[in-house]
Amino acid sequence: MHNTYPNFRFSLVSACFGTVVILVVVYIALIAVVMSYAVLTVEFSQSVKNDEASVATLEGQYLANVAQIESLDYRTAGYVAPVAKIFVPATSVTALR
Amino acid sequence: MRAQFRSRIRLVLALIVIAAVLIVVRLYFVQIVHGTEYAQKADRQFASGGEGPFDRGAIYFTDKNGANISAATLATGFLVAINPQTLANPEAAYTAISAVASTTLSHDAFIAASAKKSQVHIEIAHHVSDSSGKALNALGIPGVQVLRERWRYYPGNSLAAQTIGIVSYGSGNVLAGQTGLEAKYDGTLERSGDSLYSNFFAELFSNVGNLLVDAKDAREGDVVTTIEPEVETRLEYEIAQLNKRYSSRESGGIIMDPATGAIIAIGSYPSYNANDRQGVNPTLLGNPLVEQVHEFGSIMKPLTMASGLDAGVITPDTTYNDTGCITVNTRKICNWDHKARGVVPMKQVIMQSLNVGASWIATELGQERFRTYFTTMFGQKTGIDLPSEGHALLSNLSTTQQVNFDNMSFGQGIAETPVQMIRALGALANGGVMVQPHLVSAIRLDSGITRQLDWSQKTPVFSATAARETTQMMVEMVDEKLEGGKAIIPTMSVAAKTGTAQLTDGRGGYYSDRWFHSFVGFFPAYNPRFIILLYTDDPKGVQYASETLDSTFLDLVHFLIDYYRIPPDRGVASSIPSTPV
Repeated sequence: MHNTYPNFRFSLVSACFGTVVILVVVYIALIAVVMSYAVLTVEFSQSVKNDEASVATLEGQYLANVAQIESLDYRTAGYVAPVAKIFVPATSVTALR
Repeated sequence: MRAQFRSRIRLVLALIVIAAVLIVVRLYFVQIVHGTEYAQKADRQFASGGEGPFDRGAIYFTDKNGANISAATLATGFLVAINPQTLANPEAAYTAISAVASTTLSHDAFIAASAKKSQVHIEIAHHVSDSSGKALNALGIPGVQVLRERWRYYPGNSLAAQTIGIVSYGSGNVLAGQTGLEAKYDGTLERSGDSLYSNFFAELFSNVGNLLVDAKDAREGDVVTTIEPEVETRLEYEIAQLNKRYSSRESGGIIMDPATGAIIAIGSYPSYNANDRQGVNPTLLGNPLVEQVHEFGSIMKPLTMASGLDAGVITPDTTYNDTGCITVNTRKICNWDHKARGVVPMKQVIMQSLNVGASWIATELGQERFRTYFTTMFGQKTGIDLPSEGHALLSNLSTTQQVNFDNMSFGQGIAETPVQMIRALGALANGGVMVQPHLVSAIRLDSGITRQLDWSQKTPVFSATAARETTQMMVEMVDEKLEGGKAIIPTMSVAAKTGTAQLTDGRGGYYSDRWFHSFVGFFPAYNPRFIILLYTDDPKGVQYASETLDSTFLDLVHFLIDYYRIPPDRGVASSIPSTPV
């Protein structure tokens, strides 16, 4: 009589071979993941650093402008000292209560 | 059975052959078709190393609105190097490199470097801009390596340079903070060189603890200072103008919040450009306001006065007979103009800066109490967060000759750092309590947590009454004496004192014609927002601090009132007032 069931004979060598193949594939895949992660991290980190450097350049321009304004003699720009200063007395915070 | 086995063998063999063919085809493409491209890529990676580009935390200024502006950060660009072994056309390479890099080697030096065929990496140009580096890289010149580079960049150039400090190679081959905050907070600013390409799983199993709590996350971060960039700019501008005007050896200033010890601005002239340190005198790299000591002269008198008031040996109404000159231990002590004032009250000691009066208070105080007060004020370092803080020279406090105490009472024979001096004088502006001067308010950790630093240590010196009574004398000095009474600000009480000290000649004596000028002031006098200390060392052509530092001090006061919109503390009626300027 013909056996219609599949023949699943256990072989220790085949099992070990299969396990090794799976482990190798997984290992290679994990290395690929780690390397991809590292590359992405480096690229992202560099991108952030580039942006920070751009901000630093703008900050440098800002500070240079501040220095220029501080060293500017306002009289050479046509301004004169005010004749008088007028102070507005502070309104009491309880005035409306 | 055998046939089945044979067919399986053939199948496996076929698979192996197919795999081998695929590998050979792949190798053909890698080595033959794209070989040159990969070789150049490998060549460029030769010098990149495993640690990656330089990395370091930032140092920030804090403006009056609380916004942070970089004081020290990183710039990015490219480093250009050559590999003489693969450099085919040095002339063409030099032309291309010099077109994008302003600081490259000379032509002859480049040709000589390219002839060194035994070497594979010679650096030609640093700090090449991002766009220029990418453009050069796109040319793909064989033997020219364009490598990513980061370097320390100070957006303010010379702004607070001596305080921020520098990063450079010390004794080893690692870039580290060498001076200023860069050195003091090096442990926070430095970045550990973890390689991103390390085996994640090996790290996982060997450093499980780091996955939970990473120690460097609690250590590495950015440093937030209390320095206000616009105030710092203004102070440095005024100091530079002052120094140039009088050809002084050095000038400096500090602006501090007397209630907290937060330093808003600190600077001296000459200084240096932190982004271009070639040819800079190494002595300028330190911070003279923290490291160097001076005899400050008469700005010590308010401290002597407050000591006498606090000890109860005098009151503001106490009088003494001013004879113009006195002789103590065979040494003669005189007022600045050698003139006698007769019987005068205590406030005249401050208002007319009378040396005889300060000596009289020191005598009334007695050596033991004088020693106690001055040791409390100057016997310890301030603990400011800058390296190499200097010690005050207090040897005269250990003597028993009264003339030494008399001299110290008006600021001669005792030397302190400017930071020590402003801390002690700050006690007058802070109810008699000294605070801890500091420059860094917080550490912003990479973990996202901001850690506020604790600078709450306080040292009581005088009673609040003694401090207030001394302040009142200093206010009257500004209102009535400073610039002949013209310096008065009707809507703002300002307390101040000038100081003029003779410079030591290095042989145990003093020059008769060389001076150290100092000036201290705070406002609003009875609830101060700022205390300002100024000095100029060895100004030429002037004798008194009132001639050199008055205008600088008043410019700063008016600037701060306007910039911080400090409301008037006097002279404003309920109706709309108008104040002459």
